[in-house]
Amino acid sequence: MHRGKGMKFVGDSRIRENDDRHIPKDYSEYPGRTEPFWPNFLLKEWLVGAVFLVGFLVLTVAHPAPLEKEADPSTAGYIPLPDWYFLFLYQFLKYPFASGDYVVIGTIVIPGLAFGALLLAPFLDKGPERRPTKRPIATSLMLIGIISVFYLTWEAADHVDWEARAASQKLVEGIEIDQESPGYQVYSQNSCLQCHGDTLEGGAAAPPLIDTGLTADEIKDIAQNGIGTMPAGQFEGSDEELQQLAEFIESLNAE
Amino acid sequence: MLQKIYDWIDERIDITPIWRDIADHEVPEHVNPAHHFSAFVYCFGGLTFFVTVIQILSGMFLTMYYVPDIENAWDSVFYLQQEVAHGQIVRGMHHWGASVVIVMLFLHTLRVFFQGAYKKPRELNWIVGVLIFFVMLALGLTGYLLPWDNKAYFATTVTADIAASIPFIGEDLKTLLTGDPNIIGAQTLTRFFAIHVFFLPAALFVLLAAHFIMIRRQGISGPL
Amino acid sequence: MSEDKKSQVSRRQFLNYTLTGVGGFMAAGLLAPMIRFAVDPALQPETSGDFVSTGKEVDSFTNEPTRVDFTVEQQDAWYNSKVTKTAWVYKQEDGSILALSPKCTHLGCIVGWNDNEDHPNMFYCPCHDGLYEKNGKNIPGTPPTAPLSVYDVQVKDGILYLGKEIPRKEA
Repeated sequence: MHRGKGMKFVGDSRIRENDDRHIPKDYSEYPGRTEPFWPNFLLKEWLVGAVFLVGFLVLTVAHPAPLEKEADPSTAGYIPLPDWYFLFLYQFLKYPFASGDYVVIGTIVIPGLAFGALLLAPFLDKGPERRPTKRPIATSLMLIGIISVFYLTWEAADHVDWEARAASQKLVEGIEIDQESPGYQVYSQNSCLQCHGDTLEGGAAAPPLIDTGLTADEIKDIAQNGIGTMPAGQFEGSDEELQQLAEFIESLNAE
Repeated sequence: MLQKIYDWIDERIDITPIWRDIADHEVPEHVNPAHHFSAFVYCFGGLTFFVTVIQILSGMFLTMYYVPDIENAWDSVFYLQQEVAHGQIVRGMHHWGASVVIVMLFLHTLRVFFQGAYKKPRELNWIVGVLIFFVMLALGLTGYLLPWDNKAYFATTVTADIAASIPFIGEDLKTLLTGDPNIIGAQTLTRFFAIHVFFLPAALFVLLAAHFIMIRRQGISGPL
Repeated sequence: MSEDKKSQVSRRQFLNYTLTGVGGFMAAGLLAPMIRFAVDPALQPETSGDFVSTGKEVDSFTNEPTRVDFTVEQQDAWYNSKVTKTAWVYKQEDGSILALSPKCTHLGCIVGWNDNEDHPNMFYCPCHDGLYEKNGKNIPGTPPTAPLSVYDVQVKDGILYLGKEIPRKEA
């Protein structure tokens, strides 16, 4: 703070009086084709931002954020999946050189090296050249990194049966399972429960049994002869029990 | 009237120089899409910031309904999405914004990398930027658990096991993260909530401030 | 600069040291309780598990692994709940019961018995294609590094009781 002769301050404060700094610079003071940030350039940025926002809002309206069923640690055969931007790491851990005895390589060493190199890039690539073609090592390493991240993500996503996942996690509302009913007793005594879950909610290997839209006869047939990946001969009870089971499942319809 | 109020304030606390510095700085030609269309690559950083603002705002509003408790978390998310007016949009903004911000960060990082913009004298700003990237990934990871649905629960189980696989400190690190050596449960959810809502955003604000101050001091890197 | 001057502490240095010291005291005083508060879970002593009845008769098991669900009282800080745990149980050749935990030793996914067409009569983990033999031994070349954990087994009045999960080292 320089306090020269003739400087005047507001009261006993350090604020200078009669300061004219709030007069904006004249446009002629911008050399070449430069322009002031405010308002000229910021307006352009905000135009881009406005277009972006419209697209983003359309996305939120068109695609509700997904919500699976409430967490249940005993859900049978649930395949955990991270958010898409961690899929590449998840896929990486599938490879034998990054799992098993070498899991430390997969979880710490390789990601540590990759992200460490990214963090310290300015000190690894010290030359004065900025053009990507003039620094082939840095450029090619980054390209390899990008390609492997894309490849691993694609591999991981390709491995997943997205439709079955969505179906098994579909929210089924308004159904009260009467666990005392004879049909449920039959259901739990046979092996149905192991795949279809204790509230018939389905699992990774089997669809939910609520809202099937099947008739009792069709259900009887499936229970005995199987369908799709479900093997035949799963039901091991009397005909009377089979009838109870089929009627029980048929009755489970969300209103 | 407004001018008078402004002058009254300005006379007392001299706010003009603060924003004049930001408003009047020259934007060079090579980053201006009006002159070179390819300059749109310089928008990625600004858009990342824009989505970050969306995330902060939507997150603040989500906590009006959300409860970080394993009994109620899922129900509160279900309620705010299904029953509350515009709940789908607000949660959608936060959910999809989390993905979009990663995409934008990725593009921004690649722009800076391939232009060699991290070279002397901008090494520090690159490091701060990469740290922001890490904080964003950590925000995504912790936020993923909060709805307490199956996806959240099982992904976090795997995350905890990955943490546990770190030699020597792994098991303790896992316990610190999840709050219990064996259970992903009530304490995990409150911990992740605290980290997601207070600790990481605090770190993010500091890093963002450093990022922007350095850009203002150093100016944007020149054309290739 | 002479030796003498070097060892002297100037007024400014003294104030700087004192400032750092007082600042350090304030930071430590603030943070010490908070950090102890945050790391508390890692310092809790491990609790021993009690045996829980599965309600299944021991004689009902064959040499084919069957899925047994049993309920454990779980205390998660302030949240007490009944948790359903799963075990794959079968009778070994010597007549003893082996109860395997379904938690994959790779990254904790849930394995299933004989549920993948390509790997019959094995425990298969769908996450990263981990495989285990019937006795829980991991198959080399697949991601898991250790066999499936076993539950402590107790038999009372012909009913199977299961206790703590015990991790096993590679055989």
